[in-house]
Amino acid sequence: MDSINQNAVYYDPQRDVSVSGATQSVTNCEPHVVQSANSYVPCSTSVQHDYNAAQYPNCYYNYPQAENDSSVQQGVGQRPGAAYQPITSFQNSGSYVGPTGNTYYNAGIHQTAPGYATSNYYYHQNNAWGDGSSVNNHAQSYQSYTPDSNVAQSSSSLPTSSVHYQQQYNKWPYYYDQSAQTSGGLAVVGSTASTKAATVGSDYVHPSNQPPPPGATSWKSDASNTAAPPAQVLFWFCQILTIQFFQAPGIQGYQNLYAPQAPVAPVFQNQYVNNTAGIPTFHNQYASSPFQHSSANYNQLPLSNQAHQQKALHLHGSSSNVSSVNRVSENSRAPSCQDSVTSNVLHMVNKVQIPTNPRIAPGFPIEMPKVDKSNLEADSSQKPAYVCVSMRKNDVKAVQEGSEAVMQVTGSFPVSLRTYVERNLARCKDDAQRTASRRILKEIITKATADGTLHTKNWDIEPLLTFPEVTTGANMTSTGKDSSPFSFSSSRRSPSRRTKSRWEPVAEEKVANNVEVPKESAKSNICSSLEPTKRTSNSWDLRNFVQSRQAPLSQCSQRITKKQRTGDGASLTENGNASSDSDKEHDLMKHYASSIALANSPEEKKRREHRSKRFEQSQGAPPKSGSSLPDKDATANIYKRRAVSLLLNRSNGDDAGLAVEDLDGDALTIKGTCQEIEKEYLRLTRAPKPDEVRPEDVLEKALHMVETSEKNYLYKCDQLKSIRQDLTVQRIQNELTVKVYETHARLAIQSGDLAEYNQCQSQLKRLYGGGLKGCNLEFSAYNLLCVMQHSNSKRDLLSSMASLPKEAKKDATVKHALEVCSAVLSGNYVLFFKLYKVAPNLNSYLMDLYVERMRFEAIKCMSKSYCPTVPVRYSAQVLGFVGIDEVCEGNGAVGLEECKKWLKAHGAVLSVDNSGEVQIDTKVSSTSLYIPEPENAVSHGDASLAVDDFLA
Amino acid sequence: MAAYLSMGEAHRRIGDYLSRVVDAISSSDGAALASLIAVSSAPGSTSLSDALATFPDFPRLAGDRIPHLADLLVPLLRAIHSHSLQRFADAYSSFEKAASAFLQEFRSWETPWAMEAMHTVAFEIRLLAEKADRELATTGKNPDKLQAAGSFLMKVFGALAVKGPKRIGALYVTCQLFKIYFRLGTVNLCRSVIRSIETARNFDFEDFPVKDKVTYMYYTGRLEVFNENFLVADQKLTYALMHCNPQSESNLRRILKFLIPVKLSIGVLPKRTLLETYNLLEFDKHVCVVLSGAIVTHLGRYTMLLIEICARGNMTFQYADVVTSLKRGDLRLLRQALDRHEDQFLKSGVYLVLEKLELQVYQRLVKKIHIIQRQKEPAKAHQIKLDVVVKALKWLEIDMDLDEVECIMACLIYKNLIKGYFAHKSKVLVLSKQDPFPKLNGKPV
Repeated sequence: MDSINQNAVYYDPQRDVSVSGATQSVTNCEPHVVQSANSYVPCSTSVQHDYNAAQYPNCYYNYPQAENDSSVQQGVGQRPGAAYQPITSFQNSGSYVGPTGNTYYNAGIHQTAPGYATSNYYYHQNNAWGDGSSVNNHAQSYQSYTPDSNVAQSSSSLPTSSVHYQQQYNKWPYYYDQSAQTSGGLAVVGSTASTKAATVGSDYVHPSNQPPPPGATSWKSDASNTAAPPAQVLFWFCQILTIQFFQAPGIQGYQNLYAPQAPVAPVFQNQYVNNTAGIPTFHNQYASSPFQHSSANYNQLPLSNQAHQQKALHLHGSSSNVSSVNRVSENSRAPSCQDSVTSNVLHMVNKVQIPTNPRIAPGFPIEMPKVDKSNLEADSSQKPAYVCVSMRKNDVKAVQEGSEAVMQVTGSFPVSLRTYVERNLARCKDDAQRTASRRILKEIITKATADGTLHTKNWDIEPLLTFPEVTTGANMTSTGKDSSPFSFSSSRRSPSRRTKSRWEPVAEEKVANNVEVPKESAKSNICSSLEPTKRTSNSWDLRNFVQSRQAPLSQCSQRITKKQRTGDGASLTENGNASSDSDKEHDLMKHYASSIALANSPEEKKRREHRSKRFEQSQGAPPKSGSSLPDKDATANIYKRRAVSLLLNRSNGDDAGLAVEDLDGDALTIKGTCQEIEKEYLRLTRAPKPDEVRPEDVLEKALHMVETSEKNYLYKCDQLKSIRQDLTVQRIQNELTVKVYETHARLAIQSGDLAEYNQCQSQLKRLYGGGLKGCNLEFSAYNLLCVMQHSNSKRDLLSSMASLPKEAKKDATVKHALEVCSAVLSGNYVLFFKLYKVAPNLNSYLMDLYVERMRFEAIKCMSKSYCPTVPVRYSAQVLGFVGIDEVCEGNGAVGLEECKKWLKAHGAVLSVDNSGEVQIDTKVSSTSLYIPEPENAVSHGDASLAVDDFLA
Repeated sequence: MAAYLSMGEAHRRIGDYLSRVVDAISSSDGAALASLIAVSSAPGSTSLSDALATFPDFPRLAGDRIPHLADLLVPLLRAIHSHSLQRFADAYSSFEKAASAFLQEFRSWETPWAMEAMHTVAFEIRLLAEKADRELATTGKNPDKLQAAGSFLMKVFGALAVKGPKRIGALYVTCQLFKIYFRLGTVNLCRSVIRSIETARNFDFEDFPVKDKVTYMYYTGRLEVFNENFLVADQKLTYALMHCNPQSESNLRRILKFLIPVKLSIGVLPKRTLLETYNLLEFDKHVCVVLSGAIVTHLGRYTMLLIEICARGNMTFQYADVVTSLKRGDLRLLRQALDRHEDQFLKSGVYLVLEKLELQVYQRLVKKIHIIQRQKEPAKAHQIKLDVVVKALKWLEIDMDLDEVECIMACLIYKNLIKGYFAHKSKVLVLSKQDPFPKLNGKPV
């Protein structure tokens, strides 16, 4: 159903029909099917057809089963027609997308009840499956839940769930004809739901659904009834997840999502992170999220081993996921259809999505298959990573608690509390600590809630928890920490793990792209008929896969351990999962065998740990600016911008190398509130917090402070860098920005910090180019002096010179710089040192770069061309050791000595003539000159850097 | 006004076009195919684009009619259509798709029959990209199409620069790449292409078509000018000049623009007789002059032709003063010339080359002083007082103090432009008795 709808959405724009998914969904479902099917058919392209062909049979084959099952099983499915609709649509549309989506729908909502019950039951029986079950729940909960949380849908930025949400959102209206209600009430519903969820135990689902979807309800009850404790835990996860989704988008929009989600519920974040962060383009994000979902569905297979129909369901589910992918891409490509969207939420969703639109319709047919492909591929490719399940179970409890705490915190509690929790969690060194601290935190919060101090307490000053060092076996720790594939809980819980994967998805995409189309069909076949065991941990695989791509080595090594553990805990793992998994493991291991050693090295581990730690806090930084509803649009805009930039990058074909931080700058523009004038520079490894960022007026004061400060350059550089950072994150580009960069550039020149200077110079070039006023001429001069030094080829210097405007060449500073250039290029040392003495501004500092070179050239030249001798006094004078006027003064003697020393150091032969004047013997010297090794060379390359400076 | 076109007629025209493309491919007629896929210059493109405008469903038509070439033809038609509507960015995007499809096909063809078409594609894609970038720049968007064209052409190059008969077309693509890189200012990207052309063992450079060789030599010569590698630059540019079609004045002029400064900087100066004979004293005819020494014997006909070009006066006079200053030792004139044409020189990248001629001008000046002094008092002809040089410079309105002039004299000796030594105590430049002013004779300073 929904997929059809999607198709309609996509195609409408092409046909210039501005019908949005939302509007369509308001009408009855029956007409919809027809309509959408119709709209789809004419437009369907050959590409799609081909594509469908592969999957179609499978779907078809499975379909009847599902249908039957649903009708049989379902007292719950309130719309028996629903099950049948898919068929019609399927046949009509002729696209695989349609049918799958329909089946999916049935499976997800109407049939959910039985399906879940069974699966849960299954889980219950097999404790070992904790992980897998949670995955399932997670995935399914989305399906049934999310429709309620329209809000969540609005946040298309959430890669994990967004796809599903959208899908379901569309579904929702169909079945309930209540799109208006749902959409309108989103924000409110979302928030209430979250609060409720936070406090209410198992009922959480229901309250949120004002118009409860029958399917969901039934499912819920079933689930709770049948599911044993472990299963419930899993449900809680789902809950958390949903809550988070709810809350974040509904209340604060995208940016907030970041915050609440990330810090608190690591489990989720893992996915989230995977999807969002690392993937350079939106497109990819969408693609990847469906992957996960589909894999989650796959997981169901093993469980439903007994029930044939369930298999079918699963299959459908997975395929529907694929279709959802399509949907996303469609949406993104057909922005026009969004116009008529009536509901706020949907609108928002659309808005957010639009930016993601990489290409417009024409590109669609070509690209779509690719996406699907990639999805499938990803799934298949990830299988090997699977191993996971057995470990998990142990942690379930802890996880639950942790997530509970998280849930509560995220639900309705003040930001300060949230950050407090984050802070605590961030301090945890390992999972055990984290678990413990979560428990403690939960207690604290419960207590605070009980005595009403929850909102009044100043959490910012609350002392952080202390915990005793928990010692675990090295093996244990490493497994727990690193082998995220194994343990659901550990992977989700430890922020480090999850964050790490932020960087991965790129690789994932790559892999996906490599896949060939035919595999799809094979895949689906596998789904339907293969041994379920393999599929169990698909969702995990996704994550694992990603991670393994990122740090394949580590994964492999851990996997070895894992494997053993699996073997040990064979009792836990049933159905021969262990063996099949380990087979895959084995393959993967082989694949990465060469790199294992490296990965295992302690340095590498350490580095990785360190790297991942950077993100621990990043999750916790909630940008406040987006916290009110009106800000949603702004957030969406930012999103859009970011998406556009992503797309741009992608179109350039260098998406692979894209660093996340490059993108974050755009997306996370904030408004600072910090009033501190002094601030240490710290390289941002996470979203900046407004309370750590200084607004413009404070920055101005800070700049003044730096300018008048007596402290050394290192201090000033640090301060200026932090000012620059604050300017950047707030996207302030005005005269102040120019001033800051100019100040810093000057200081850097004076201190010989060329690296920093170059940074400033390139920024200044951009700023001046943007029309901002400053000392452009002065800095063009500096630029000339610098460029001359770097370029081997003269092209850079030429282009710098060519880019000077006419009037610039009249400026004294620039003129001076140009003269210096020509003096250096022609080897005119006399002119050079003359210019040195009259250098305006800071030109002389930059000329220092050439002094040694010029002097040596000069002495070579002199010893070759002069005969028989040259007085040292003269050379000291022309080579700038002494000022011309100082020759007779006392200062001159100093310069003379210096010159002598220098000459001797460079191999010149000195002699004293009759009048007592020291001379350079040119004939002898001409063959003995050399450039000495710099005496003050230090290993770190900069003799001016001393430890004391840092300590000061 | 566009004549009204019936649907049927439009349909027919498009169909006709499609069938001609298919025919060209099936009969391996590269030339016909090339003319058909030239988006911007296809002869029948106006009637075709009218038809496309009338019959907007052409993609489906093309797809239905020739499904196996739909990847190529549909975007190609779109490109032609967009191009006729002056929507160059769209046209570029479509054309790039078509070009990719074509490249795919091209790879699968065993023989290089379609080389001409491939070259047309390479040429067209560059042209379209330039147009698209102009369009994008005016609308304030990021003009990145030329860059994209560059990366596409790299793919084409990869397909051509292989062993086998297709390699003969590689140099053309290389030249298109050069044009793109020079325009984008990313000339360092040229290096990889050059390497693969010049290190190839299995294909003699001389086997490439002449026009490609000339272009290639021109661009690589320019690169060497940037690197101030004058000997190699001279060699390459001279090659280009000698093989360039004498009819294409603009190309000759382009080559000379770089060859002249290179020649000057390695000390090849116009022959006085030539200048006088053709009364070219003011001009670039120094071109001819410049060339005269080394290549005039080869040129013969070319020389005359160049002189003609110069005489027509549409060639730049930029170098006239430069050459004159070199001949006269007139530093002031050189500086004036540099100042006057600074922008052009900077843009073309020869400014620094010309600036370096200063030393040669000093040499000339000292030589002149030496000659005069020899006439005045032959006994002391070899001792040139620094004061005299300073005075001469002052006469040229160039104000320099003793130290500076002394430094320049030292440099002249150091760089072998003067043989002799400088006596600091007496401030006298002592010249060698034999050949005190050695000629560069093709060696750079």
